[in-house]
Amino acid sequence: MVGVVSAVLFWLDQATAVDLVPIAYLLPVVIAATQWGIWPATVASIASVAAADFLFFPPIYSFELDNPHEVIDLLLFLVVALVSSNLASRLRQEAERLRRREQEMQHLYEFSRRLAACFSVADLISAIQNYLSYALGQQALFLAAKSDGHLELSDSGPLPPAVHQSVASMVANGDMTSCNIVDEATYHCWVLEAVRSQTAVLGVVAVNIGDGTHEALESRKHRVKDILEETSLTFQRLDLARAMEDARLHLQAQLLQDAFHGMLAHELYSPLAAIRGSASVLDSIPMIQSDDRTRSLVEAISDQAAHLGGFIHNILNATRVTAGGISPRLEWADPRDVVKAAITARGRRLTAHKLVVAFSENLPLINVDSGLVEEAFGQLLENAAKYSPSGSTISIDARAEHGSVVLSIADQGVGITPDERRHLGRRSFRSQRHQATIPGAGLGFWIASTFVKTNGGTIDISSPGRGKGTTACITLPGSCVEASELADLSDE
Amino acid sequence: MSKSSNVVLLIDDEPKIRRFLRAGFEMHGFSVLEAESATDGLKAAMFSAPDLVILDLALPDLHGKEVLERLRSWSNVPVIILSVVSSEEEKVRLLRAGADDYVVKPFGMAELLARSDAALRRYFKSETENPVVTAGPLSIDLVSRMVLLNDRPISLTRKEYRLLHILATHVGLVVTHDQLLKEIWTGNQRDNIQYLRILVRKLRQKIETDPNDPRLLVTESGVGYRLKTRLETSAEDEKALPDPS
Repeated sequence: MVGVVSAVLFWLDQATAVDLVPIAYLLPVVIAATQWGIWPATVASIASVAAADFLFFPPIYSFELDNPHEVIDLLLFLVVALVSSNLASRLRQEAERLRRREQEMQHLYEFSRRLAACFSVADLISAIQNYLSYALGQQALFLAAKSDGHLELSDSGPLPPAVHQSVASMVANGDMTSCNIVDEATYHCWVLEAVRSQTAVLGVVAVNIGDGTHEALESRKHRVKDILEETSLTFQRLDLARAMEDARLHLQAQLLQDAFHGMLAHELYSPLAAIRGSASVLDSIPMIQSDDRTRSLVEAISDQAAHLGGFIHNILNATRVTAGGISPRLEWADPRDVVKAAITARGRRLTAHKLVVAFSENLPLINVDSGLVEEAFGQLLENAAKYSPSGSTISIDARAEHGSVVLSIADQGVGITPDERRHLGRRSFRSQRHQATIPGAGLGFWIASTFVKTNGGTIDISSPGRGKGTTACITLPGSCVEASELADLSDE
Repeated sequence: MSKSSNVVLLIDDEPKIRRFLRAGFEMHGFSVLEAESATDGLKAAMFSAPDLVILDLALPDLHGKEVLERLRSWSNVPVIILSVVSSEEEKVRLLRAGADDYVVKPFGMAELLARSDAALRRYFKSETENPVVTAGPLSIDLVSRMVLLNDRPISLTRKEYRLLHILATHVGLVVTHDQLLKEIWTGNQRDNIQYLRILVRKLRQKIETDPNDPRLLVTESGVGYRLKTRLETSAEDEKALPDPS
């Protein structure tokens, strides 16, 4: 290029050429700097100075200079050329960096788009692996963390034994800081980095960053780090997105369940009413009454219908709770009435147990929705009967305590472990140890506690331990007017 | 019963329910008419003049409450409601709208027949004009105000007697809190259900064998009280049909 400029200048006449020399020779310098970088530009600068001296400054065709100020001119030119080549090459580097950055961003963008479409861990793994291999031009392997603490290698290539060993030791020590390993067979350097989301370590990435100088390896290592940082941001976003999606699905499932419950209850009640009614008519026919076999059959129908009715009733109650449709109709009620109604309603399911009922004198009235409290108490009674052996005693007790009324049910059944106690009140919770032996849906206590809460009361479950019985207490705010005082007022 | 055969009109859209109701009522000596919609039911009530109407709340063409109101605009025939959901508020509304009583599905035939008998007895009361009401071991002479428990006279306060009197005139049927409060108390006290609760407690002390397990004066939660016609355990209530009269 310096030659081309020289030829052009040479072709122009001498005087003009000398004037143009410093400017004209800057051209190849700047071009070299922007195209090839600092070293070619420096070479071009020196070549330009030499050519100018040789061709245009007298004595021509000699590197000697007559005029001292031409020496200064050439030196000045050299300085300017070097400085501008430096600047131009920096510009070039900057442009190059931007271009690369843009490309990386583009890759990352595509990567996160791929991540967004990931529905399984396997998808995620292959996305990360592909991206790293593609962006770095190197082999990258992902070892996904399993729930049991092991790492599983995806099937995209073999891992050198040395790398495998250090990954294993990383997991064993629980130390997830990054490290470098040199594979002795190929002298390639591998970088190990943990990939984490906000909540957990997802796995370890092993990237082959090849061989080369220390600086080159360092810069590649930095890139791996940068990329993983970006991906971990994506993971965090993904975590959030996944949580939101889970919540949405959960809500949908809940709504479906509620609709199902509502429909189920209605569709089942009508036939059940016909069954129970028909059985009751059959039961009154003398011919059936007089034969033990037919009578027991009709009784079985009635019992099972009542049982099924109770079950549907529970589902209906649960639906009421989840539909948010409970607005308690508060009215002063006698706790004795509530307890009695609950016992009567569950009569058939309590026949195998001995009920002992005790009311303390002068029980205050309670301001509640008696229907709801009755249900809650009935549910607890049913649980007491269900989780205690036939023939055992269930003690029911209503008493006044510090202005409150406490309705308690004590059974001699399986009891409750501290662990089970923590889960009580959760919908559909059933303890592992009863799941196979005692039928149920885990709705009873949940319904009871919700109903009691809407009436401003609390339920307390206590048990001395497994197999030692359970006591359930409903505490409700009582009337502040003494019952005896009311008695006088009411009958004036 | 004053007639040899009372006519009962069943208004329910479920054929299977009507079938067992028909069987139950016929066995109990009733003649049965059926209607599967509100329109048919109202027509039948007008042209056949039944002695008793059993009305299902969930009819395809008209809500039960609407049917009841139309029926009540020209007839005093006893009406017993069949409802699926046991909402106390709805029961009270229907009783106010003129229903004589209700049963909640699923129910036993005995329960419905007991209510039906009670409603009919009250409907034909003026014709029989018997001033003595019996409820199990209890007998209440509405004219002389004499109350006997197991043939022994018991003394009641003025309000206790008033309460028993109202329940006795509706023996076997539910009486709402509102109705009792309005007929027993005056002024501000009318709104205080606490008075009623305590008065019931006191009355139970005098008439029940075990006041904690009342068998005569029973509570209908959220609705009112009922004086039973006879002593029954809840299990028997579901099983045995009363003898046809």
